[in-house]
Amino acid sequence: MSPKHQHKTYSRREALWQAGGGLAGLALTRMEARAARTRSPQPDFTPKAKNIIMVFLPGGFSAIDSFDYKPDLEKFHGRETKGANTITPFFGKRGTVMKSPWTFKPRGQSGKMISDLVPNLGALADDMTFLHSMVARSNAHGPALFQMSTGFIFQGFPSIGSWVSYGLGSENENLPSFVVLPDRRGLPPCGVSNWGNGFLPAAHQGVILGDERQPIADLTPPSSVAPRQQKATYDLLTELNEEHLRQNPGEDALVARIRSYELAARMQLSAPDVTDIRSESAATRAMYGLDHPVTRDFGYNCLMARRLVERGVRCVQLYNGGHFGEPRVNWDGHEDLRTNHGKNAAILDAPLAALIRDLKQRGLLADTLVVLTTEFGRLPISEGLGEGGRDHNPEGFTSVMVGPGLKGAYAHGATDELGYKAVENPVTIYDQHATILHLLGLDHQSLSWYHNGLARRLTDVHGHVIKPILA
Amino acid sequence: MVRLALACLLLPGLHAASFAPVRAIFEKSCIHCHSGESPRGKLNLSSANGLRTEKILAMVTEGKMPLGGPPLKASEVDAIRAWIAGGSVWEGEALSPPKQQFWAFRSPVKVAPPAGDPHPIDAFLRQKLSAKGLDFSPRADQRTLIRRLSFDLTGLPPAPADYALTYEQASAKYLASPHFGERWGRHWLDVVRFGETDGGEHNYERPNAWPYRDYVIRSFNEDLSYRDFIREQIAGDLLAPGDPRRVAATGFLVAGPWDQVQAEINKDKAMAMTQRMDELDDMVTTTFHTFQAMTVNCARCHDHKFDPIPARDYYRLTAVFAGVGFGNRRVAEEASIAEYESRIKPLKDSLAAWKAKLGAIEDPKRVALLRERYQAYDRQHESEALRMPLNPIWNRNRFSEAAGERYRLVVTAHRGKRARIERLLLQPAGIELKAFTSARPASDAEPLIIDLAGSGKVRELTWATDWNTGSGDGTVSVYRLEAAGPDGNWHPVASSLDHARSVEISLPSVTPEEQTGLLDAEQLAQRESVRREIARVEAAIAAIPEPTKLYAAVPKASITPSFVLERGSVTQPREAVGAGAMTAVRQISLDVPVAANDRARRLALADWIASEKNPLTARVIVNRVWYLHFGNGLVNTPSDFGVNGDRPSHPELLDWLAVSFMENNWSLKWLHRTILSSRAYQQTSAQVPRAFAIDADNRLYWRMPLKRMDAETIRDSVLFHAGNLDLQSRGGPGFALQKKGDAGSYIYKALANDGPAVWKRAVYRFSVRGGERIMMDSFDCPDPAVATPQRSVSNTPVQALTLLNNDFILSQAGAVARRVEREAGSATAAQIGHLYQLLFGRLPSTKEQALGANFIKNSNLALYARALLNTNEFLYVP
Repeated sequence: MSPKHQHKTYSRREALWQAGGGLAGLALTRMEARAARTRSPQPDFTPKAKNIIMVFLPGGFSAIDSFDYKPDLEKFHGRETKGANTITPFFGKRGTVMKSPWTFKPRGQSGKMISDLVPNLGALADDMTFLHSMVARSNAHGPALFQMSTGFIFQGFPSIGSWVSYGLGSENENLPSFVVLPDRRGLPPCGVSNWGNGFLPAAHQGVILGDERQPIADLTPPSSVAPRQQKATYDLLTELNEEHLRQNPGEDALVARIRSYELAARMQLSAPDVTDIRSESAATRAMYGLDHPVTRDFGYNCLMARRLVERGVRCVQLYNGGHFGEPRVNWDGHEDLRTNHGKNAAILDAPLAALIRDLKQRGLLADTLVVLTTEFGRLPISEGLGEGGRDHNPEGFTSVMVGPGLKGAYAHGATDELGYKAVENPVTIYDQHATILHLLGLDHQSLSWYHNGLARRLTDVHGHVIKPILA
Repeated sequence: MVRLALACLLLPGLHAASFAPVRAIFEKSCIHCHSGESPRGKLNLSSANGLRTEKILAMVTEGKMPLGGPPLKASEVDAIRAWIAGGSVWEGEALSPPKQQFWAFRSPVKVAPPAGDPHPIDAFLRQKLSAKGLDFSPRADQRTLIRRLSFDLTGLPPAPADYALTYEQASAKYLASPHFGERWGRHWLDVVRFGETDGGEHNYERPNAWPYRDYVIRSFNEDLSYRDFIREQIAGDLLAPGDPRRVAATGFLVAGPWDQVQAEINKDKAMAMTQRMDELDDMVTTTFHTFQAMTVNCARCHDHKFDPIPARDYYRLTAVFAGVGFGNRRVAEEASIAEYESRIKPLKDSLAAWKAKLGAIEDPKRVALLRERYQAYDRQHESEALRMPLNPIWNRNRFSEAAGERYRLVVTAHRGKRARIERLLLQPAGIELKAFTSARPASDAEPLIIDLAGSGKVRELTWATDWNTGSGDGTVSVYRLEAAGPDGNWHPVASSLDHARSVEISLPSVTPEEQTGLLDAEQLAQRESVRREIARVEAAIAAIPEPTKLYAAVPKASITPSFVLERGSVTQPREAVGAGAMTAVRQISLDVPVAANDRARRLALADWIASEKNPLTARVIVNRVWYLHFGNGLVNTPSDFGVNGDRPSHPELLDWLAVSFMENNWSLKWLHRTILSSRAYQQTSAQVPRAFAIDADNRLYWRMPLKRMDAETIRDSVLFHAGNLDLQSRGGPGFALQKKGDAGSYIYKALANDGPAVWKRAVYRFSVRGGERIMMDSFDCPDPAVATPQRSVSNTPVQALTLLNNDFILSQAGAVARRVEREAGSATAAQIGHLYQLLFGRLPSTKEQALGANFIKNSNLALYARALLNTNEFLYVP
C-alpha cells in the first residue's frame, strides 16, 4: 500500500471500517469494499503472536540493578567518572560509581545473572529474550515515555496498542481491542496520552478496564435504570434507527451505527465476565498474589491481562507504577534506589512471573507476546556524593521480551562495562517497535495512516526488525 | 566523450533508437526533482554529465523512483535498461527543468465560469458532473435546510421559530449571530492545536491562554479581514504592542505543547538545545500547516523528499521565530507600562514603609508570644517533623524573607551517630556550609549549634542533593535556622517543620484579638492611624489599572543565531542563516539579514504570507472553509498542498474562489455567503445509487453528505434541548471539565461537576492536553497535542455506551423531560410531539407516536428523551 493512495478521508468510509472488528458483520457491496480504506485489519504475513501484553514500568527501571549484570560497578564503587567517560546526569549532581544494592545470581538452566531485586522473574530467565542495548531519544520522562508509548517524543501520536488495533482489528467484538490496566496507585506520568489513539480513529483508543463494579466507563447505567428499561431502550433505538434508515437508504454510516449499539449491548454482558474472578481457583489467586496486600492490586491486573488475552483482546497494556508528585509512585529512584526499586519490585515481581507462568501452562504463551519495558534506565553513578539514588540513563537500558517467535534465554546487545552506554548492537525504540509489529505479522513500514501531509508510522522513518533475536 | 565514442564503435546503430523514449521518461517523471541548482540526490538528469546509470536503473527497477509517484511501467524500465546497455548515449539538447511549476505554487488565475448556471460555484461543478452524465440532487426541503444552516454556522440546533425563516433570512441571521464565531472559532482552534496546558510530564496550566480563543471567536464574528487575521497571529504584538487583543493573537505561536522541564532544567546541553529547536519546529510547522498547507517540517533533517523545500528554507524559517519565547506578558504601550511603573512604585514604597511602621508597633510583643508558642509546638511535634523526602528539584525550603547579621543552624535530631551535611546554601545572601560532620550526636537537650559565616537577606534554604531522602546516615532531621539582628537576639526563620505535610500541620499563630490585647492604649491609637494610611495607599494602588497579563509570544532577551543543522542535529551546525521563507514561492521572496531583530523577522514573514502574490494563502483558507461545509475539500488534504497531498478536484473553481476572496477584502463571511447561496450547498443528502456507482466519494458534489455531529455539537445540543445551555456566557477563563490532581500529581482528573458552571458552550472549556477521559473524547474530540485539520468520525461501541449511560447524558435527558412537561403538559402524545419538534423540527409519524407512547407507558419520559438523543436522526445532520 502506498501512502499516496491512502490520504482521502471520508466519513462514509471511516464509519464503515471503524466499527473496529465490526466490519465482518456488514454486508459490503463490491463497490463499498473497494471504496473502503486500502488497509483492512489483517496481518501482512503469518504472525508469530496474535496478542500482546505490554508491561510498562514508568519512572525509569534500572537495568544494572536487575537484568544487566555489571561486576565492574563493584570494582569501581566510589570512584569518579572522568574525561571522555564523564557521565552527565539529567538534573541531579554527578556522583561516583555506585554498586548495586542487590546481589546477582545465575538463574535458570542458562545461568543468566539476574539480581535479587526480581527473583521470581529471574527464575523465568530461560524463557526470556533480553535487549540489553536499548537507547531512548530523551533523558526526560515526558518525551521518553511518549517515545516508548507512541514512537514519537511528542504528545499526541497514536500509541503502539492503537497501531496494533488498527493493524489487526479485534478477535472479540464484544470487548475493546486495546485494553489498559493502569496501576491502582495512579495513572502513569502523561496519563491517557500513553494509550491515546492520536489521529487514528477513536475505535483504536485504549480503554481502561476498571474493577468488578464498573469494568468500563459508562458500561452500565446507574441502578435507577432497570435492566428491563435498558433493554426497552435498545429495542426502541433499533426500531427508530431502522425506520430512519429506510428513509435514508444506502447510508453505510447509519448501518454501522446501528451495529455499534448491538455491539455495545453485547459488551455490557462480556466486560463484567472478564472482571468476575469467582471461577479462578484458590491456587491461581495465590499465585498472582491476590492474598497478599502488597501484590493484590497488581496481581489482579496481571490476572485480568490473562483473562483478556484469553478472550481475544488484541493488546493489553499493564502498568506497574504511576505518576510523580507526592507520593511519587513509580520507579524514579533519584534519592534512594534501594527503597524505591525495592518497594516497586516487591509489587511487580511475583505477580508478573505468575502471569508468564500461567500463560505458559495454559498454552496462551504460544500466541501471546509479553514485553517488559520502561522509558529509560538509570545511571551507574550515584546522584550526588555518597550513596543514594541514580539519575536517568537513556544511553543504555534493558527491555525483556517473552513469547513465540523469539529465542529464549538469549541476550541481544550490550552496554559498556559500567552499564552506561549501549556499545554492542544498539537497539532503538523504533527497532523494538518494528520487531513487536513483525512478531504480530505487521510490516512496520507499511502500517501507516495519512495525517497532516505525511503517511505516519509507529516507527516514523526509522526502525529495523531485530533479526538476531527471532527464533 | 571517450565513453560516448566507444559506445558508437561497439554498438553501431543501437543508440540512435534508444534515447528518445528515455528522454521522454526523464521529462515526464524525473526532471522535476533531478535538475536545477540543487538537484535531489545530487543527480542532475538535464545532461549527460556524471550520470550514475546503474543507480538510476536500480532505483526505477525497485520502484523506489519516482519518489511518491506511481512506479514506472515495465516498458519504461525496459527502455531505460536498453539505453544503459547501449552505453547510455545522450542525444540532443540538454533537458531543461520543467517550466510548469507544481500546481500549488502557480498563481491562482480567475477564469470565467462556464455558461449555464447563474452561480459560479454551480457552473464549475456542473461542468464536471455533466462530463460524467451526473447532475445535482434536488434542493432539500425547508426543514432540512434550516437545520443544516444552523448546525453548520452556529453548531447549535435551530430555535423552533427559525423554521419559519426563509433560507436567505436564516443564513443571514446565523452569520450575524455571535454563535457563528464560536462554531468556526472551534474549527480554527483544531487547526492550530490550541490547548491550555503545557502537555507532557508536568503539564502545567496556562491560566492566561484563553484570550487567544476569544480573539479567534471575535475575529470570526467581526469578519476581520483574513489578511489581518494572519498578520496579527504571527506578529500582533509588534503591530500593536499596547493592544491586548492583538497581542493575544500571537497566542497562536505558543499555543502548542511546551516542555518546560526540558527547556529549563535539563543539564544536558545538547538536549536543551534540541528542546529549543523543537519549540521552533512547532511554531514553523504550525504556521506553515495552517496558512500554507505545506509540510516544511519534513525538511528538518534533509531536503523535503517530495516538495521543493530544501533544509535551508526550513532553517531560515526557524530564524523567523528565533526571538519568540513562551510565557505570560503584560500588555500595554511601552510608554504606558513605564507610566504604570512610575505611578505604582512610590505607592508601593510608601505601602512598604507604612507596613514596616505597623510591624514596629505590633511585632515585638507578637514575636515574643509566637516564639513561646513555636517552641512549645516544636517540642510537641518534633517526633513527626522528620524532614520530608526532598528530591533534586525540590530540595529547597522557601520562607518569608528575613534579614540577619548572623545566622546559625540549630540541630536537635539526625540519623546515625553524627550529623552530616554535605552542603547547605542560604540564598540570596549566598551563605554556605560545606562538608560538616559533628563531633558528637545532637539532642533536644544538647543541640548542635552550627554558626554560618555571612550576613544579608535570606529566603531560601537549599540542601545538597545526596542523603536527601532523610534516610542516609547523618541526615539532619530536626533543625531550626535562626537569625540574629543588631540586638544580638536569635530568632528562628525556618525549621524542619517547614517540610511537614501542610495538611498535617497548623502552626500556632496569634489571633487579631490576641494581638490587640497585647498593645497598650497609645500603641492602639498609633496603629489605628497607620492602618488608615495603609488602607488609603492600597486604595490608591487598586485605582491604577494594571496592564493586562496574558499568555502569548514573549520576546526573548537575545536572539540565538540560526544555522542549517546537518541531519537536524544541534551538534552539527553548518551555514548561519537569516530569516527567510519558502524559495519555491517564486512570486515573492523573503531575505532578512542575519543581524535583524525579532520585529524585522516576524513582520516580514507575516507580510509574506498575507501577500496577494502568495499563491498558497488564499487557496488554503477557501479550501478549509469549503471542506468544513461540504465534508470534502476541493483539495482533500487541507493542511498539505504538496506533492504528497491531494490534487484539486476542481482547480478552476478553487482558483476562482481564491481570487474572488482576495478581491472581496479577504472576507470570510463573503466566502460563506457565496458557498451558502450555491445550489450545490442546498442539495438533498439522499443517496443516489447511479451517482454513487460512478463517484462513490462524492468528489463531484452530486449530493450533500450526511454529517455526524462533532463532540462539541453533541454536548451543546443536549444542553440546548435541556434548556440549560447558557448562551449569554461568552469568553473569559474556561470552565473546567478536568482538574489537575492534588498532592503534586500532574494528572488531570475528570470532574463530576454537572451544573450551571459548566453549562456553557464546549468551545469555552479549559482545554487540557492528555487529561482523563471525558464524554467528548468518545466522539473524536481531538487532544490539542497535535493539530487536527480533519477530525476522524468514528463509530464505536464505547461511543454508544457513552451516549446511553454517561451521567451527563442521563441527567440532561432528565432536564429535557422536565422541560417538555413544562411546555407540553402531561399528555403523552403532546409530549412526544413536542420532543420531536424540539429535536428534529418535525412531528412524529403515527408509528413513531405509538412506539413512543408504548415506551413511556412502560418506562418514563426522561428515558424516552435519552433514547431519542441516541438516535441516528439526532446525531446525523442531513
